[in-house]
Amino acid sequence: MASLFKDQVKLSAYRDRRFPGSQEEFEHALLTSITVYVGNMSFYTTEEQIYELFSRAGEIKKLIMGLDKNTKTPCGFCFVLYYSRDDAEDAVKYISGTILDDRPIRVDFDWGFQDGRQWGRGRSGGQVRDEYRTDYDPGRGGYGKLVQKELEAQRPLVDYGTGSLNSFGPLMPPPQYGRHGRNHGHGGSQRHGRDYHRKRNRNDDRYTHENSKRTSDHESRRNSDPESRPEKNPRFRESGDSDEEEDDDRKQRS
Amino acid sequence: MSSWKSLLLRIGDKSPEYGSITDFKDHIETCFGVLRREIEHSADDVLPFLLQCAEQLPHKIPFYGSVVGLLNLENEDFVRKLVDNTQTNFQDALDSGNCERIRILMRFLTAMMCSKVLQPGSLVVVFETLLSSAATIVDEEKGNPSWQARGDFYVTCILSCLPWGGAELVEQVPEEIERVMAGLEAYLSIRKHVSDTGLSFFEDYDEFGKGLAEKDFLEDMWDRIQTLSSSGWKLDSVPRPHLSFEAQLVSGRSHELGPISCPEQPDLPLAVDGITYGKQKHNAELKYPQRIRRLNIFPASKNEDMQPIDRFIVEEYLLDVLLFFNGCRKECAAYMVSLPVPFRYEYLMAETIFSQLLLLPQPPFKPIYYTLVIMDLCKALPGAFPAVVAGAVRALFEKIADLDMECRTRFILWFSHHLSNFQFIWPWEEWAYVLGLPKWAPQRVFVQEVLDREVRLSYWDKVKQSIENAPALEELLPPKGSPNFKYSVEDGRERSEQHVLSAELSNKVKGRQTARELIIWVEESVFPIHGLEGTLEVVVQTLLDIGSKSFTHLITVLERYGQVISKICPDHDKQVMLIEEVSLYWKNNAQMTAITIDRMMGYRLISNLAIVRWVFSPANIDQFHISDRPWEILRNAISKTYNRICDLRREITSLKKGVVLAEEAAAKAKADLQAAESKLTLMGGEPVLGDNPARMNRLKSQSEKAEKEELSASESLEAKEALFARALGENEALFLSLYKNFSNVLMERLPDASRAGTLRGLKSIHVDEMTIDLGEPSAMELDDENGKPKIQTNGESASNVYNIGEKEQWCLSTLGYVKSFSRQYASEIWPHIEKLDAEVLTEDVHPLFRKAVYSGLLRPTIN
Repeated sequence: MASLFKDQVKLSAYRDRRFPGSQEEFEHALLTSITVYVGNMSFYTTEEQIYELFSRAGEIKKLIMGLDKNTKTPCGFCFVLYYSRDDAEDAVKYISGTILDDRPIRVDFDWGFQDGRQWGRGRSGGQVRDEYRTDYDPGRGGYGKLVQKELEAQRPLVDYGTGSLNSFGPLMPPPQYGRHGRNHGHGGSQRHGRDYHRKRNRNDDRYTHENSKRTSDHESRRNSDPESRPEKNPRFRESGDSDEEEDDDRKQRS
Repeated sequence: MSSWKSLLLRIGDKSPEYGSITDFKDHIETCFGVLRREIEHSADDVLPFLLQCAEQLPHKIPFYGSVVGLLNLENEDFVRKLVDNTQTNFQDALDSGNCERIRILMRFLTAMMCSKVLQPGSLVVVFETLLSSAATIVDEEKGNPSWQARGDFYVTCILSCLPWGGAELVEQVPEEIERVMAGLEAYLSIRKHVSDTGLSFFEDYDEFGKGLAEKDFLEDMWDRIQTLSSSGWKLDSVPRPHLSFEAQLVSGRSHELGPISCPEQPDLPLAVDGITYGKQKHNAELKYPQRIRRLNIFPASKNEDMQPIDRFIVEEYLLDVLLFFNGCRKECAAYMVSLPVPFRYEYLMAETIFSQLLLLPQPPFKPIYYTLVIMDLCKALPGAFPAVVAGAVRALFEKIADLDMECRTRFILWFSHHLSNFQFIWPWEEWAYVLGLPKWAPQRVFVQEVLDREVRLSYWDKVKQSIENAPALEELLPPKGSPNFKYSVEDGRERSEQHVLSAELSNKVKGRQTARELIIWVEESVFPIHGLEGTLEVVVQTLLDIGSKSFTHLITVLERYGQVISKICPDHDKQVMLIEEVSLYWKNNAQMTAITIDRMMGYRLISNLAIVRWVFSPANIDQFHISDRPWEILRNAISKTYNRICDLRREITSLKKGVVLAEEAAAKAKADLQAAESKLTLMGGEPVLGDNPARMNRLKSQSEKAEKEELSASESLEAKEALFARALGENEALFLSLYKNFSNVLMERLPDASRAGTLRGLKSIHVDEMTIDLGEPSAMELDDENGKPKIQTNGESASNVYNIGEKEQWCLSTLGYVKSFSRQYASEIWPHIEKLDAEVLTEDVHPLFRKAVYSGLLRPTIN
């Protein structure tokens, strides 16, 4: 439907550099894939929230959380696998750009999940986009990793390790990423922001690292031997790439 | 995109393509001017694109009609070809039963008639062909009235053309059009009134009065057309650009349309029994569905600027935009808000979208599409649309007790999702009064279920915060959702034998013991001591706890240790116990209960029959009217079964194609080989039989390979067909069990048929038993969204005081679900209807139960 307006050429502006094949094969993979990539998620969004939202496009076969390769905590992306292509298409059509946990998420076709792709590809373990960001995004661990590092370096040594980065507070007011949610006439006051330190209902070990990760990034990197982590998600066994190659994570939103 | 294409696409829009030109007449002239030149060298590109535009942007058809009319003055051959192609497409659409295409191409033909491209007589012939086919269908002697859906559809198409060209037809061929109108009237008099109450949004309790008196879609449409006719075919909602070019267009030479034909309807079965008739009717209605059902939730005053026909036109525009711009968010919202009509229509727009969201049995697209459209419209019209949406929500909420169960579920899912995109802001204080209603009151259940879905999309504290203007509603929030692990050791309680066992199991899992090892451990050291129940409890609770951290943890545990569970729970009885254990562990979390059961069914640890049995266990039955939990689980189980069957059907279709291809390939390879074998080749100067050896070998191996592939293709087809046969059998068993259970629980609880032979009777039982209390004097309250006073009596609307007893509400809810399940899976149920009739729908079944099943299946009650 509406083939007149659909821009057929631009299937996806993002080309995964780790895809092992030609551009044609890549496009074919996208055209037949039953997997979608979900981006711009909050680090706090749980698999169950994703399940609830994405099952409205169809029965979900599998769901793979993207994890920071050092801390093994969610780092803001995931893969959702459906049973049918139609459902995957509907997820892209109807969920991309809508709000999950106060953020507009992005949903794109993905060429297919392979073990190893669950890890963030940024130098610091998370997604590449979180390396260089200069804004303060509380849903994604505050400032970008590089900025965090700089801020850390500016701090008096005495404080090292005790304070939390967040105690700096944002240099600028947090961005109003709830851009979809201005006054919509339901009345009432406009609300934004959130309880950044909320506790999830269920105590997931994976998520309990959250705090330490966000607060002292240095520590987690000094101590980045994955085997030393007390609890691991059994699904995400240590294998595949953990190379530090800088890879453009995903296309930037234009 | 080359400019002629964008000019065609953007005609009539405010867009950069046309720059400062705002007058439609100028659009048409500009577009025509460019096309005229373009056709000179690339007519073969222009023609299909122009036709495609007309088919996919039907609200612009009058403009395209005028452009074609102007082209006709310059290039008759091109337009002749365009008319021929239109006819070919139209005939294809008729043959394949492509409803949208039939309807839209007829509108295009009408527009071409208006701009003197098509002879009016040709259009009349199209009308008469369709009309005569429709009349034959409903003729009991010659036709097959079970296919009335097709006849109605054809007639609707004819009527739908008249707003676009009625005036022109009456002016140019008055006698013919009079004849057509007479024919339409005759058709309306012989067809049967459609009373498909099974598809109405609201339960019609007044079943003997309103249902018959209310006009069906076609009758209503006929009325609107007659009103239009009596007002001289004048209307505001259809642009008539051809009038601006009349002076030029009259000199054009009109083309004729060749004959078209309508497909034959299937023969009426010789033995006319209710079942075959019903099956045929079901198929016909699947092929020719009614496009819209009006929701009528707003007062008529909201649409008072419109004539009756305008409503139909605007609905057509909106539905077409929804259809063709699915997947193009920006264009969809932009076209929705800028229809070419001179009046405001946001209420009608909301009503139309909601009517699609709630359309029964299925909307054309998934409900989440309409959710997105509503969000986008709220952003596109921030000043107007959100208030209209809120008004629709209030109106539906008022009538929620009568809302069909399927619609109610979709309403809950939509509303929670919508709010999650708008910071969960809602004036909950308006609904705080539901706390004072009994816990089975549909309005209260609605609020509770919306809050539950909100929590699933977000998190508990966030939703709690969102209801701060009605803090008492916290009572309706779901529990915090944490697991209920029997062997938790945190609180320092004394540790029982089971605690020790559970810890032991937990350690084994952490030590990565295999399923095999665990099974041996269970069989040797647990089962003999603790028996079935003890074993099941410890193992299931412990494994669930290990998998409780996330969906992925759950999957991992089930994948790795599912066998341990299936070893303990090999049959239905034990699977029911297993489900019960799951529901105990996740008693605070409806979502995880549902997901866990769903996944266990996916790994075949539990069967759908076991799920049905568990849903109909006493504890769940008591929840039927106060919670969606059991229904969600039942729905999941049936829909999973249904999805598997659909997958199998798809796979079989593609395997069949594969077999044909493989057969062809094998035959060809064999023929090539034989040809080569019989060929004489010169070898060393001597002629020998057969091609050169290298080629022979290659051909031989190719042929062998092709044969092998053919064999393996047909083998996998056979295997799939066997699976499919098994799935069909399982489906039959599932529906039999479902209906038996429904029938039994309803029989036990429904009042005797003499007291409650109708839903209306059932509803009024409790009222009769109560002394009627008219309640507090009503307080006037200003409804800020609409600026109109709203009457409230302590929150309850005066017209809708809730006074239904618990038992009666239980029956109403359960009957509602009977209808809803029957309707949703009607296509899967019809093939098993004989068995169902013999085993469940026997003579002594309760009439209300029978009625719910029949109305869900749209099964005629009169044989």
